[in-house]
Amino acid sequence: MGLIAELEGLTAALQQGLDQAVSLPEVEALRVAFMGRKGRLAGLMARLKEVDPEDRPAVGQAANAAKQRLAELLEERIARLKALAEGAEERFFDPSMPGRPPYRGSLHPVTLVMNELCSILEGIGYEVVSGPEAETDFHNFAALNFPKDHPARDMQDTLYLGEDLVMRTHTSPMQVRSMLAHKKPPLAVLAPGKVYRRDFDLTHTPMFHQVEGLLVGQNISLGDLRGTLAYLARELFGPETRLRFRPSFFPFTEPSAEVDLSCMFCGGSGRTDGGTCRVCKGGGWLEILGSGMVDPNVFKAVGFPEDCSGFAFGLGVERIAMLKYGIGDLRMFFENDARFLERF
Amino acid sequence: MLLSLRWLREFTPYEGTAEELGARLTMLGLELEELRHPCREMEETLIGRVLECVRHPNADHLSLCRVDTGAPEPAQIVCGAPNVAAGQHVVVAPEGSSLPGGLRIKKAKIRGELSQGMICSERELGLSDEHDGILVLEDDILQSGGAVSFKPGMKATEALRLDTEVLDISVTPNRPDCLSVLGLAREIALAFGLPLRLPLLEREGLETDASSLESMRLEVESGEISPFYQLRLITGLSARRGPAWMRWRLRACGQRAIYNLVDVTNYIMLELGQPLHSFDFDKVRGGLVRVALAGEGETLSTLDGQERSLTASDITIRDAHGPIGLAGVMGGAGTAVHGGSRAVLLEGAVFDPSRIRRTARRLSLPSEAAYRFERGVDQGLAAFALERAALLIADLGGGRMERRPLHLELKPLSRPAVSLRRARAESLIGVPLEDDFCLRALTGLGCAVRAPEQRGRGGAFYAMGSAARAPEQAGDAGCDWLVTPPSWRHDLEREADLIEELARVYGVDRVPESLPKVSRPLEKAGHPEPLHKFLTRVKFWAAGAGLNEAINYSFIGHKDLDFLGLPQEGRVSLLNPLNADLDVLRPAVFPGLLNSLRHNLAQSVPGLRLFEVASAFSRDAHSPYGTGVGEDPRLGLLFYGERHRQGWPFKSEDADYSDLKGCAEALAQWLGLPAPEFDLEEPDASPWFAPAVVMRVKGERAGFMGRLKTDLARACHARKAVWLGEFFLDKLRSAANGGRASFTPLPAYPAVRRDITVMAPPDMRAGSMAAAIRDCRPEHMETFFLLDVYQPEGSAERHLTWRLIFRHPAGSLLDAEVDKTRDKVAEFLRRRLAVRI
Repeated sequence: MGLIAELEGLTAALQQGLDQAVSLPEVEALRVAFMGRKGRLAGLMARLKEVDPEDRPAVGQAANAAKQRLAELLEERIARLKALAEGAEERFFDPSMPGRPPYRGSLHPVTLVMNELCSILEGIGYEVVSGPEAETDFHNFAALNFPKDHPARDMQDTLYLGEDLVMRTHTSPMQVRSMLAHKKPPLAVLAPGKVYRRDFDLTHTPMFHQVEGLLVGQNISLGDLRGTLAYLARELFGPETRLRFRPSFFPFTEPSAEVDLSCMFCGGSGRTDGGTCRVCKGGGWLEILGSGMVDPNVFKAVGFPEDCSGFAFGLGVERIAMLKYGIGDLRMFFENDARFLERF
Repeated sequence: MLLSLRWLREFTPYEGTAEELGARLTMLGLELEELRHPCREMEETLIGRVLECVRHPNADHLSLCRVDTGAPEPAQIVCGAPNVAAGQHVVVAPEGSSLPGGLRIKKAKIRGELSQGMICSERELGLSDEHDGILVLEDDILQSGGAVSFKPGMKATEALRLDTEVLDISVTPNRPDCLSVLGLAREIALAFGLPLRLPLLEREGLETDASSLESMRLEVESGEISPFYQLRLITGLSARRGPAWMRWRLRACGQRAIYNLVDVTNYIMLELGQPLHSFDFDKVRGGLVRVALAGEGETLSTLDGQERSLTASDITIRDAHGPIGLAGVMGGAGTAVHGGSRAVLLEGAVFDPSRIRRTARRLSLPSEAAYRFERGVDQGLAAFALERAALLIADLGGGRMERRPLHLELKPLSRPAVSLRRARAESLIGVPLEDDFCLRALTGLGCAVRAPEQRGRGGAFYAMGSAARAPEQAGDAGCDWLVTPPSWRHDLEREADLIEELARVYGVDRVPESLPKVSRPLEKAGHPEPLHKFLTRVKFWAAGAGLNEAINYSFIGHKDLDFLGLPQEGRVSLLNPLNADLDVLRPAVFPGLLNSLRHNLAQSVPGLRLFEVASAFSRDAHSPYGTGVGEDPRLGLLFYGERHRQGWPFKSEDADYSDLKGCAEALAQWLGLPAPEFDLEEPDASPWFAPAVVMRVKGERAGFMGRLKTDLARACHARKAVWLGEFFLDKLRSAANGGRASFTPLPAYPAVRRDITVMAPPDMRAGSMAAAIRDCRPEHMETFFLLDVYQPEGSAERHLTWRLIFRHPAGSLLDAEVDKTRDKVAEFLRRRLAVRI
């Protein structure tokens, strides 16, 4: 019965050989040595005929088992070696090499903020309108209740193109154009765009951007204006934002109010960990927009009925962009430094 | 407007802090800009009394003083001033204190003698430029006069009643009544529920019955130019330095003290808001003062020594010989008050605001007086202000005021009553308003209020405030109240103005928030996309195409345009540009992009891919806006330098025409337009480019592009090629006409491809070959494109390989068939273009 033992011994012998084999050719040599036509298994099988016929089935069974076991061992070893080889390849793969990025285009922060303002207000039913930047005295001033030779005109240093032609000093002429185009209330429009003033220093550029909102209907109140602006401010700066309305003066609204937002950097406390809040300078409030109820003289100028009412507001886009993105210097907006533009 | 807290307290007994006051005024629409502390640097100085003053033992010009500063022991102070003497009250900077300019006072030995402080001059205290000697506190040092009751050791700022807290308040153009201490005091009294008191006029000993003015005639051309005009004469004057309290107060409130006669007019203007002008009475010729419009071309030599040429809209004050002053703007040199003036003719008047404004602006003569006149002064207060000023001048100049003024009020103040509906106010503000609140608010503001049914009976329903009088006319009967505003509130003319006041007094910050219903007209549904939306989409496309959005000013310099060679005609110039670099509107977008390039090159940027969506401006009589200015929306593109980010895995190569054209084609495709055509421009069309290329869509010029000429590029400090493109978005939009992509079913059968290499002379365009391939109409050709370009060495020829793609819609093509078609195309090209294949 030595043959069965020998057959079983093959497995251990191969295992021993395989443990030494570190390459595929070595494994192949072992395969030939054990399972080849002249290999050790074949050698043992040749002795099968010497076995007592009664015992042959048992020996045959052992031989088959040994064969299967040997094949398994070889396969296992081959798989393991292949895996090792691939692993070696991976070892030399450098995942830290730079990628091939697509071009990263960008929108100007002014455009981003205008888009955001527009989508918030479009969402509550306002219609976006646009108009000329070179504007008539009528649309920019007279119809908005800025009489000629009136000090109210000093509030906006104007760039003139002609006797009655100016670079629009605000987006408010779009109030006039929209009402004239609509012919009658109600209407809710939104006019984003460039505006111009004759002013150039650290905190003023001769061109900047505004978004103007106008709602006209029946029984529109100052409370409605407050609600609308609160909605807008909270959508822009978060639900904790508080608003403060201060009486002010714009010729085309009455009552008029400047609107301050609670400072989003210090939560309106005026203090940060480092001391006084740098953004609101400790006041806790940031002046952000002008607003008011449409002045009856404006309705008169566009032929709207006397009993309608409405409100208007205008936001400075750069101001909001500065707060939203933490931009400290207004002039950055128009230098178009690639390093600046690529941030957005 | 600078408001001293101490000055304010002379009008109303406000006891709170300056900070609280500023916050309250801000919420009333009078925004606090800044809280100033003009005397902060002399806070540590004390009142001292010179007990003893002897010559310094070791110096002729120094004195050795023993000064009581309230401390247990008197201080020894060495003083160099010639006017120091025993018995004086002085201001002392004690040892350890500091003075304006950061000077710290230390114990020191001066010529061997101990000095424990410093006796100060006005200049050392920052009170004036006076430095002739130390400040000696005389009897008239305080406005209230009387004996000096200073105790040594008192804080000097308190003892001298200096204006230590000054609020800088921003006053909007509708509130000229707040351009004075009195005006702000009114608002504060109302806000805090405090009484308001006007200064008392002390005439005793300051008046005379003499009447030199009787021989003088006053004429005013019309009530339009000057509704109120009054002159007072003060005689027997001598000009001298004004009293300390007035000089110091003027300085704290931003005015320069000159001498008593002039200082008073400034003082009263700040206090009561009424600008005043003084003439030297002896220089007014011919016994006549006439207020009239100037003759066109008349001249006047003004106070500042300038010769002014006048126009027929200037209001002048004239004597028998001609103009002696520009009303409300500046006096004439000839009648100016000077150090030797003995008699002053003081003018208190109201002038037409818009004429004053025009004159002041034309002559660039802004002044505190003109500022107030053009906004409107209180006609009800002018006579009082004039008399107060005249008495003060008499008092300070040692003279007498003539009791009777010269007076012409051609247009007496009349304030029509304004009708007010409570329901309208409630609807506009959005809160219910109690009757009682409305009445208290309005009367508190100085309005007279009465119910309409009391019309004709003249009985005031409720009245408060000095200038309020019963309304003379009534509004409509549907109103709740008839409101007559006070003389100082020019801005209250309509119901809306009164509602604003109610909102202001109620507190605009207290109104509850609500959201209105917003309705959109149904007719608008389905209308074409508005311009703004289209432009926004183009911006998103460009950013998606890997370009960075730039925004440049809409203006540029004529000289830049000239340098680039842009045409002169059609440009839109600014009449009052900020500077020569910004004196014309951009007739094209690309010159602005060049400014961006210049900035980035200064930052050593290796490559740039910019876009800008903006208007190009030109004179256009048919502008749809009716402005005579055409505003053409454009997309500008700029490519410069490195095409890619620097470094592996990219190759270092510069952007070129293909980048620009690729963008143009992609844009057209994205808009759903047919493939644009590109051609060399007519020679003079874009002379700033070489090469210059025109883009046409459906045969129409829709953009131009090219490489900026080398000399122009060099002027931007660009060493590499600058590729620029500019596309007409209005044209593209209307050509696209809301075009959208359309879908055709995907092909079911495989494609076969064949290549043809054309060996062409250098002047043959790829476009000609493409046109020939198209014209040949190869059977079943689906598409074709340029596969490769090869320039054999040492040959001028170009080899262009075209790949043709064939596909049969309903079956597979046989190789032999396709080969035949390819040969047909090759033959066609050979014959049509005389090229080798």
